[in-house]
Amino acid sequence: MRKANTHTLYWIGITLVLFPILVVLGIYMRTVQFGQLPATQSWFYPMMTLHGLGMVGVCYAASMACAVDALRRYIEPSGAISWLALAGTVAGVVLLLVSVFLGKFAAGWYFLYPLPMRGNWPAWSTVMFLSAITVLGATWLIWSVDMLRAIARRYSLSEALGWHYLAGRTEPEVPPLVLITTVSLIACVACLVAGVIALALSFADVLGGVRSDALLMKNLTFFFGHVLVNLSMYLGLAVTYEVLPEYAGRPWKANKIVALSWNTVLVVFLAAYFHHLYMDFVQPVVVQYIGQVASYISSIPAAVVTLFGALMLVYRSKMRWNLASILLFVGLAGWAIGGGGAGIDSTILVNMKFHNTLWVPAHFHTYMLMGLMLLVTGYFYHCCQAATELPEKPSFHNLVILLLMVGGYGMLFMFYLSGAASIPRRFAVYPAELAHGAGYAGLGALFAALFLVGLIVFFVEIGKRWIRAFRVAV
Amino acid sequence: MPTILDATSRPLRIIVSFVVGCGLFFGGVCGASAQGAIDGRILFQQKCSTCHTIGGGDRSGPDLWGSMERHSQDWLIRWITRPDLMIAERDPIAIELLEQFKGFAMENVGLTEADARAVIDHVRAETATTAPASATQAPPGGYPTPPFGGVQLAAWAVFLIFAGAIALVFGWVWLSTRNPQDVDVKRAYAVRRTFFFVVASLLLVVLGATLQDTPYAEADTKADRIVYVAARQFDFVYSLEPIVSTGDLANVLVVKRLELPAGATVEFRGTSLDVNHGFGLYGPTRQLLAQTQAMPGYVNRLRVRLDEPGQYYVFCLEYCATGHHLMQSRLVVK
Repeated sequence: MRKANTHTLYWIGITLVLFPILVVLGIYMRTVQFGQLPATQSWFYPMMTLHGLGMVGVCYAASMACAVDALRRYIEPSGAISWLALAGTVAGVVLLLVSVFLGKFAAGWYFLYPLPMRGNWPAWSTVMFLSAITVLGATWLIWSVDMLRAIARRYSLSEALGWHYLAGRTEPEVPPLVLITTVSLIACVACLVAGVIALALSFADVLGGVRSDALLMKNLTFFFGHVLVNLSMYLGLAVTYEVLPEYAGRPWKANKIVALSWNTVLVVFLAAYFHHLYMDFVQPVVVQYIGQVASYISSIPAAVVTLFGALMLVYRSKMRWNLASILLFVGLAGWAIGGGGAGIDSTILVNMKFHNTLWVPAHFHTYMLMGLMLLVTGYFYHCCQAATELPEKPSFHNLVILLLMVGGYGMLFMFYLSGAASIPRRFAVYPAELAHGAGYAGLGALFAALFLVGLIVFFVEIGKRWIRAFRVAV
Repeated sequence: MPTILDATSRPLRIIVSFVVGCGLFFGGVCGASAQGAIDGRILFQQKCSTCHTIGGGDRSGPDLWGSMERHSQDWLIRWITRPDLMIAERDPIAIELLEQFKGFAMENVGLTEADARAVIDHVRAETATTAPASATQAPPGGYPTPPFGGVQLAAWAVFLIFAGAIALVFGWVWLSTRNPQDVDVKRAYAVRRTFFFVVASLLLVVLGATLQDTPYAEADTKADRIVYVAARQFDFVYSLEPIVSTGDLANVLVVKRLELPAGATVEFRGTSLDVNHGFGLYGPTRQLLAQTQAMPGYVNRLRVRLDEPGQYYVFCLEYCATGHHLMQSRLVVK
């Protein structure tokens, strides 16, 4: 039995509360698009904003909590900063809730400038929303910097990034967890700095009337959003590198190829954000091409090293299958499938037909919901189970997985189908010409409800372990 | 701009509306008033056409075709000049409209009584000369589900094959754990090397094939027609003359019904007068043909050859606030 860390248990608790609520908001949105609940239609866009930002925030904070927890085997993060991360995140969420529920703020999760200042919601809700993002951004920046500090106390930068492997040396041994987390946190600092600049310029507009350049703000916003989402995914993969070997009974160590792969990722995925701006024809053409090339290149280390490595680890191993290992395994599959959908959309020629259609939420829901969140919940279950060692029921776990898979992929299939049928994303109501989108939305809502049932059953299973682990730890 | 009623923030809304109204007044009406008589057409373009059409169907507000005959002149003037007050007073017609348009309330945009009279006269004159919206409404029983085709079909097929392959590989590896045994690591690394070359070659081929055919590569081609598109919440304005700011709307001839010749290469020069919008052009089969963003301060040039005659549809493809889904227009290719 391994005592669970108190901070990790708090993060698990926060995730267990917020995640299903945000899933319910998603189901609500698909239900409105199906033409139901017309009396609540004016809440569609505020809920879309809350669902989007809430999910991105939960994904980041939960994956960071997983990485921090796993890293405690090797480094010592600051206890005070860990508490600050918790308190700052809760404060940011409260500000966000006030902005959305009392102010009906509805600029979408990436609040593309100048929309927050030009929407039909009160100015105070914009200030409240920007304050929420400021609190969250500042908190997470401090959290990331502290983790980098803790890593730097044990490893030099070149060691943490595995450069000695590239030079042909094998000592000191650096776990892939440390390498990938370092890559992710460096990217995190870069993206949060971009976010801070975008926020400062937004505040200058809303408080001082100083206008900013729309294209510059778009670049800053998408750099921030793209990197934040991707690094969350990488943090999920980092803990998978650490935990999956425990179940497979085989090692999964860093080497020259792994180091080369993740250093390539660090360089390439930052430049891949240009694929969000393909339809801004005033961007220099060269950066549009860089966007596609970087997007394609970033798929090579992912597919050839991480996915191949994971499959090699599990192939014909004495795998101990339980909820944790199954969720980690199917989470990797979700990441791969979502990556395929994203890769297709990162082709400029295709993006012309798919940009801002439902193909976009289709692929990011695949790698975030059926990828990252399964990795994160798998890791959380792993922690709670290790701390309690309660007896497990394989047939019950199979039911959970079945519900999550059928519900999740059924919902995603409707998204992909809608995207291929040119149904725009972010429409509260479909016009008569695109009314077929409503049918896909209705079926999507049904499948999502099935996913939610699976999630609730899973939460009951992890919940009783969490309560017991919490009692022991606190 | 439509407003969602919210009792908790109504005083603030009034202040904001006042400020917005003042801004619009100084930015727009002054220009019109300075020329002497109030021009109802310009006022309608600047203050009303975001939410209303005259014979073009409902937007976030009702189609005004014939509406001036359904209400008294006094009611109309008060509604145009003080809609916020009438809603607060629970005027029965105002509340009915509010419910009909699902909470999107008429906003006070700072029009005076004289302005309101000019707008009413303009709507009456347009009603007398414009066909009603029925000609462009959905067919009985709705539109049929459009077929897939072109790039969308190809991408859909590639994705299904890819996702299926991933599922099969993961399933195969899962099943392999039923018969555990040691793996030949050297052989596995050899397979990985082959896998790397296959993936890299495949990506290079796709890059080579697709990068030649991007919308940017067409910048050197000659356009047969140039159409200026100004996007704004929640409307597209077309003109054959440049529009780069709200002030230009008073000085250019706005094209109400855009008709383009079949087979022509058309260059749409899109900008935005407020927030980011998307100009998504859908063909007669209601499948997305091409798109570009419409950004404040920039002009994006989208060239597209319109071969197939028929009705084309334009939808906003960048979220632009709570009337986003209402932002659409049409054009005809003959």
